[in-house]
Amino acid sequence: MAAMEVTEENTRPNYIALLDTPEEKITILPGASADLTSVTFCIKEEDHTLGNSLRWAIMQNPQVDFCGYSIPHPSEAKTNVRIQTTERTNAVEAMAKGMDDLKVVCLMMKDKLAQRLDEGDFARMN
Amino acid sequence: MALEDRNRVVILEDRVENVSGAEFPMSFSDQGIPFTLKGFKESFDIKIIRLTPTDIEFDLIGVDASIANALRRILIAEIPTMAIEKVYMINNTGIIQDEVLAHRLGLIPIKANPDEFLWKRADEQPTDQNTIVFKLEVACSHNRDATPGEADPKMKYINSAVYSSQLVWDPRGDQEERFAMDPIRPVHEDILITKLRPGHEIICELHCEKGIGKDHAKFSPVATASYRLLPEIQILEDIIGEDAELFRDCFPPGVVDIVEENGVKRAKVVNPRKDTVSREVLRHKQFEGKVRLTRVRDHFIFNVESTGIIAPEKLISQALDVLIEKCDISKTALAQATKGNSEEDEE
Amino acid sequence: MSSQAQYGVQKSMTGVKKTGSQMSYLCAACAKPTEIKPKEPIRCHDCGHRILYKKRTPRMVQFEAR
Repeated sequence: MAAMEVTEENTRPNYIALLDTPEEKITILPGASADLTSVTFCIKEEDHTLGNSLRWAIMQNPQVDFCGYSIPHPSEAKTNVRIQTTERTNAVEAMAKGMDDLKVVCLMMKDKLAQRLDEGDFARMN
Repeated sequence: MALEDRNRVVILEDRVENVSGAEFPMSFSDQGIPFTLKGFKESFDIKIIRLTPTDIEFDLIGVDASIANALRRILIAEIPTMAIEKVYMINNTGIIQDEVLAHRLGLIPIKANPDEFLWKRADEQPTDQNTIVFKLEVACSHNRDATPGEADPKMKYINSAVYSSQLVWDPRGDQEERFAMDPIRPVHEDILITKLRPGHEIICELHCEKGIGKDHAKFSPVATASYRLLPEIQILEDIIGEDAELFRDCFPPGVVDIVEENGVKRAKVVNPRKDTVSREVLRHKQFEGKVRLTRVRDHFIFNVESTGIIAPEKLISQALDVLIEKCDISKTALAQATKGNSEEDEE
Repeated sequence: MSSQAQYGVQKSMTGVKKTGSQMSYLCAACAKPTEIKPKEPIRCHDCGHRILYKKRTPRMVQFEAR
C-alpha cells in the first residue's frame, strides 16, 4: 500500500490530501431496505460542496424517486445522502451513476473553459 | 407556468418569487426531454467576459445553482496553496508581540506553485518536498546620513519599516534548481509587516507548508469568489415620453437607453447586466404592470479575484479538478462500502 | 510551545549573558547593552538613562502562524 501511495502521490497534482481521507469514507446507515431501493449514505469529510451537487446529479436520474442531503450537525464533518429509487435500480447504483454524471459534467465544463480560453474572445487587461 | 418563465426568479416589490428551480424529471407534465449528459453539453456554456493577471469575470450558463455554488466554495476553501505555517522566533524586540507577528507573517501570500509540493502531515519531518524556508533578519538603527532635525522616520532611521520584500528565501535541497525559472517569493513586495525603531531587531525563520482555505483563510487562493444571477428587465408595455426618462433614471447608467422613433421617446433595455436590481422602478405607479424584474436562474455571473499565487483562469480549472477528484474518491469509497455490505449479506 | 526546530534553525546570537554576578540589560533610551552588578544603581553606563530592559530569552520559540 505504501509503495503505491508514493508513486500516486508523486504523479498527481494532489489537490486533496489523500492521506487525510478517512478509512470508511462512505457508510450505509442502519434502516436501509433489504433490496437497497431506499438507503441513507453517510459521507465523512464532505459538506455542501459535494453534498448539494451530488444531490442534483442524482435527482436527474428518472429512476430516482427521492434524493436529499443533510448535514446533521455542523461540528461533525459528515453529510447524509438519502436516496429512494424505483424497483428497476437501487440506491447504490443511483449513487454511483450520480458520481459518474457529476464527474462528466465537471469534465465538460473544464473542456468548455479551455476552449473559450483558446478562442480568446474576451477583454484582456493588464 | 410559461416555459420561458421556469428559469426566471421574479422580483416583486415586497418579495421574490419562483426562487428554487424544479428542473428535475417529471416536475412538469409537459416536460419533454429528461436530463442527459449530451443535452447538458449542448445547453450549457461558459463565456469569459474579462481576464486580467489577477481577476476573471465569466458567465456560467445552463447549470444548476448547486454546481455554481460548489465551484465557488471550492475556490474559497479547497484549492491548496503554500503559506507560512511555522515561525521560529530567535529574536524579536520590536513592538509587535511574537504571536501577533507570526500571525501577520502567515497571511502574506507566497508565490510558489503548490503542485510542486507535497502535503506535510503534523508528524512528518520537513523536507525540501513539503516545506519552503524563508528568513527574516532585520535590525533598525539611526541613519547617520540623515540631516539633523529630520522628522520622517523613513529618513531618520534605517529599517524603520519591515516589508514583505525583506523576506529572504532560503532554498533547501534541489529547490534552487527546481525553481530557478520562477524563484519563490512573496506575491507583493510592499506588504508592511511591522515598524521598528533603533535597537529593535527581528530574527526568525519561517516555514511554509501546503494547506487549504478550509483549515485557515491564509491558504485561500482567492481574495473574492462570488456569483450573482443575470438580471433581466422585461418591458411588458411601451414606456414613452417623459416616463421613458424617469424609467431610465430608475436604473444605473447604461442599463436603459432612450430611442427616438418618429419623434416619440421610448425606453429600451440595453444592458441589464449592469443593473443592481434596486427595485426603484417598482416604486412608481406609472410603471405598474408595464415592467417585470426577473433574474435568469441558470445564468451565473462569476467574479473571481486571485491573491496572485495562481492565475485566475487556472483557478477555475483547478476547482473543477477538485470536484472531479472528490467524485473519484467517493466512488472508490462507495465501492468499498458496498463490498463490505454484500459480504455481510452472504454471511 | 518551545521546541527545537529540526530543520537547521540557527542558534541565537543575542541573549542573556551572565558573567559572574553581573547581569546584562538593554538601555531603553540608547538600546546599548549595560552590565549591572548587584546593589549597583540602575543606570545605563553609556547615556545615564534610568530605564533598563531585561534581555529576551536566548532560546528559540516556535509559533504557529495562525
